[in-house]
Amino acid sequence: MLSTRVATLSQRLWSLWLLDKQLDRVIKSTCLQVSKRYATRAATAKQEIDISQYPPERIRNFSIIAHIDHGKSTLADRLLEQTGVISKTSKNKQVLDKLKVERERGITVKAQSASMFYEYKGMKYLMNLIDTPGHVDFNYEVSRSLAACQGTILLVDAAQGIQAQTVANFYLAFGEGLQVIPMLNKVDLPTAEPERAAQQIESTFEIDSSKILHISAKSGIGVDQVLPAVIENILPPEGSIDQPFKALLFDTWYDKYVGVVCLMAIKEGIIRRGDRIVSSHSKTKYEVTEVGIMYPDPKPTTSLQVGQVGYIICNMKSVSEAHVGDTFYKEKHPVDPLPGFVPAKSMVFAGVFPLDADEFSKLDESIQKLTLNDSSVSVHKETSAALGQGWRLGFLGTLHMDVFRQRLEEEYNANILITAPTVPYKIKYRDGTVKFIKTPADFPDGTTMQEYVESTMEPFVLATMIFPEEYLGQMLELCTTHRGEIQNHTFIDESRVMLTCRLPMSDIVTDFFDKLKSKSQGFASFDYEDAGYDDSQLVKMEVLLNGEPVDALAAVMHKSNVVTVGRDIAKRLKEVIRRQLFDIIIQTAANGKIVARETVKQLRKNVTAKCYGGDITRKMKLLNKQKEGKKRMKKFGKVELPQEAFLGILSSKKD
Amino acid sequence: MSRLRTPLSLYVHWPYCSFLCRFCAFSKARVPAAGVEHDRITTALLQELRTSLATHQDKELHSIYFGGGTPSLAKPQHIAQIIEAANSLVPLAANAEITLESNPTLAEINKMRDFKQAGITRCSIGVQTLDNQTLAGMGRLHTGTEGLAAVDRAKQLFPGKVSFDMIFGFAGQSLDQWEKELEQALRHADSHISIYQLTVEPGTPLFRDQNAQRVILPSNDLQAQMYEAAVKICSQRGFRHYEVSSYAKEKDAESLHNKGYWQGRQWIGIGPSAHSRYIDPSSGKRISTVRFPDIQRWEQHCDRFGHGTAKSAVISDDDAKQEAVVFGLRMLDGLSNSRFAAVANGQTLENYLLMDQVQQYAHDGYLLWDNVQGHLSPTERGLQVIDSILMDIIP
Repeated sequence: MLSTRVATLSQRLWSLWLLDKQLDRVIKSTCLQVSKRYATRAATAKQEIDISQYPPERIRNFSIIAHIDHGKSTLADRLLEQTGVISKTSKNKQVLDKLKVERERGITVKAQSASMFYEYKGMKYLMNLIDTPGHVDFNYEVSRSLAACQGTILLVDAAQGIQAQTVANFYLAFGEGLQVIPMLNKVDLPTAEPERAAQQIESTFEIDSSKILHISAKSGIGVDQVLPAVIENILPPEGSIDQPFKALLFDTWYDKYVGVVCLMAIKEGIIRRGDRIVSSHSKTKYEVTEVGIMYPDPKPTTSLQVGQVGYIICNMKSVSEAHVGDTFYKEKHPVDPLPGFVPAKSMVFAGVFPLDADEFSKLDESIQKLTLNDSSVSVHKETSAALGQGWRLGFLGTLHMDVFRQRLEEEYNANILITAPTVPYKIKYRDGTVKFIKTPADFPDGTTMQEYVESTMEPFVLATMIFPEEYLGQMLELCTTHRGEIQNHTFIDESRVMLTCRLPMSDIVTDFFDKLKSKSQGFASFDYEDAGYDDSQLVKMEVLLNGEPVDALAAVMHKSNVVTVGRDIAKRLKEVIRRQLFDIIIQTAANGKIVARETVKQLRKNVTAKCYGGDITRKMKLLNKQKEGKKRMKKFGKVELPQEAFLGILSSKKD
Repeated sequence: MSRLRTPLSLYVHWPYCSFLCRFCAFSKARVPAAGVEHDRITTALLQELRTSLATHQDKELHSIYFGGGTPSLAKPQHIAQIIEAANSLVPLAANAEITLESNPTLAEINKMRDFKQAGITRCSIGVQTLDNQTLAGMGRLHTGTEGLAAVDRAKQLFPGKVSFDMIFGFAGQSLDQWEKELEQALRHADSHISIYQLTVEPGTPLFRDQNAQRVILPSNDLQAQMYEAAVKICSQRGFRHYEVSSYAKEKDAESLHNKGYWQGRQWIGIGPSAHSRYIDPSSGKRISTVRFPDIQRWEQHCDRFGHGTAKSAVISDDDAKQEAVVFGLRMLDGLSNSRFAAVANGQTLENYLLMDQVQQYAHDGYLLWDNVQGHLSPTERGLQVIDSILMDIIP
């Protein structure tokens, strides 16, 4: 009896001891974790890189400009590998293209910067590669990036030669007063014709072709000559460390952990953690909590000083506080601000609406978050009778719009509907006022037009196209049918033509580019720049369903397009509108005249043939599903328009 | 007189077929090479019947319907056993309707007398079409002539109680062909006929054919014309259109069993994939159940648990009200407030439906609304598009 009690007791003690041991272990490991974490933090602080031994003469700030697919990102990867910033693994592809859209589409949307350390002729250099977007839509971003550089590499595919974008980018860099180093990439391709491409560069840009480097970023040929060429040909940044701190903000992004990150080019002086800086633009003061370089991810440094390019974190809450082009100075040491940038100009407007009205506030939040990182999107609330509450967003171009849509859908799971893009038309009133038309709803009605409007104007672009000569006839015809005004055409070598042409912007945002590609079998390249406004006879085309106008389908266009577009829209609508219990008349009209008419015939039969015991559950499910679908329909009078009606109109334009 | 018993219907699913039709979406299986294990399936059906009817003994069986599959492949003595077993649990009403679906093949026609002796009172024959090429194309092993001969033979055994099915809307069929075909069929008709538009159900071979564009069915407009032609021709021949696809010479000839579905009567379904809808006596809740569709699985469950129920769910009051309207308006007689109130806890149609829409449809000639009697019914024109209308009038 007693022995059993003792045994039980000792067993209990034993288990208590075990428990104690376990607790002990838990406590110890927790302490360990805490101290480890602390150690990591401390180490991070210690690991701040000291770059103070790099004065301006040992710094080069440069970018690479190139047409899409001419190998810019590959060259950037090679340079980062060569300088040990990233390792040579297959995973490191397009390191600077951080957005999923960028990697997928092989384009750069957001400029990124990366710093490298490089030894040349016994001297250590700090090389800052400032990435630039390649597409015309992002010219704004390109110019921002270029302002932080002293020179640029003009990279041209040796097989494809100069493309329209190459020309645009060259003149952009040239305009910024940058030193341009031409290089031919992909020289090892069987189809490469380096001599021909070099000749094109010489005749187009008046650059001595003997100075052109021949490289292959992919296989590494000639890549070791790239950084020496940069050091030799590009001037070091100017400025002095003894001057008061002065820096140019040229890019920002939002990081969910640290808030706004500002990329700055330090023009004068030095900055460290703990300094207080002031925005010239807003006079807001900020305390600097971290400075560092992109390596290629943010790496803190002890300071950033004259000539260097790096990031500054300073408790900025929103990207809207960070005005690109703004000059920052140290508190109590004001400086003359640097010439600012031209703010981004919206070239394309589109209405964005949630597919489900209940998702409005969620979408509102998503758009706010996304525009935190893309201040070039302009945002205005808009209410459509057809589509409910939404936004009118302004974009730099159609690619920009498409990228924004893709990011909203992929990064924020948004279900959205984007209306047909329009360009900012201008209305000049007799009293001298000028009004921008962001949405067809703003277009003056007939009476206003007659009595108060002096003229209507539309934006034009100067387009550059480069293509093989056999397409010249077709290209000229294409320009003419799009109201283009040919400026000139030049042979840039024996068989390739460069054509410049003034075109209405509205045609660029619709189908000009698709037609250009199909008519030239993909061989034509195309780029454009803003070319101001011209008087133009504009009309508003309305879409009527059984006599009722549908605001979201209205469009402003040139008088000459009315018939073609009117017929096209009526026909497309007929394909997506479902039959109802009555005929639906689709009409397109302009200036009070009907342009086209289609009829969706009435549905004559809609009844489930068989409905017995086993069919009941299925029938009810189907009915409820259809009712759900019907809820999402937009009603005009009695006419129901599925959301696809809006999508169909838009997507078919892209096809 | 005994006290008034609540009506109940029984559906018996016999899952085997000698051939599989390309359009059929019902649960079925081809007769196995070794033949059907008749005893096995009958034992399982009887088992499920006993389990399922046990709690409904206070009711009265108004109808039994043997469907499938092809129940005419079953043995008449097994049909008799099922009817007897049902009757012993829930008494059959005096004029109970006991229907058996049959294929018009010779072998099955020859069994009809025995089925009658087994207790069958009504017969529904799958004639489907008189066009031999279409029949063959759909996988059916009989001719049009055999179809009509079967109807004639059935009429002798079940005078006034024979129905048959016709289908319109086959690929390549013209309006003229259909009208002629229907005229010919009606010359053999007894007192009831069901006329269906060919419906392409997901999962059927026909569905795949259509998706692959191997068959192109008539347009909606042509289907509408065929439907309208059927209504007209049947009416000329004295057949009253009483439900979307059902026509009867007189009120008595209308299918009591099928009307049960549309009027919200309770029913118990037994056999693989069979559905049931009833009010659970203990909880007073509306229940819907479905049995396992796979024959073997269903049989195993019947052996082990006494029934092969795969799923059972409570029907919410909202759903019950919706169903009452959706199925009530399949009939030209429509739905009365008194019948609706029975499932709607006393709520009236005018309190439930979107009356603005109802009035508009009444004004446009699609619905008839009698606000004195509280009765809603579709017009012929309305019935033809009732699925569109329902979406607008149900909240």
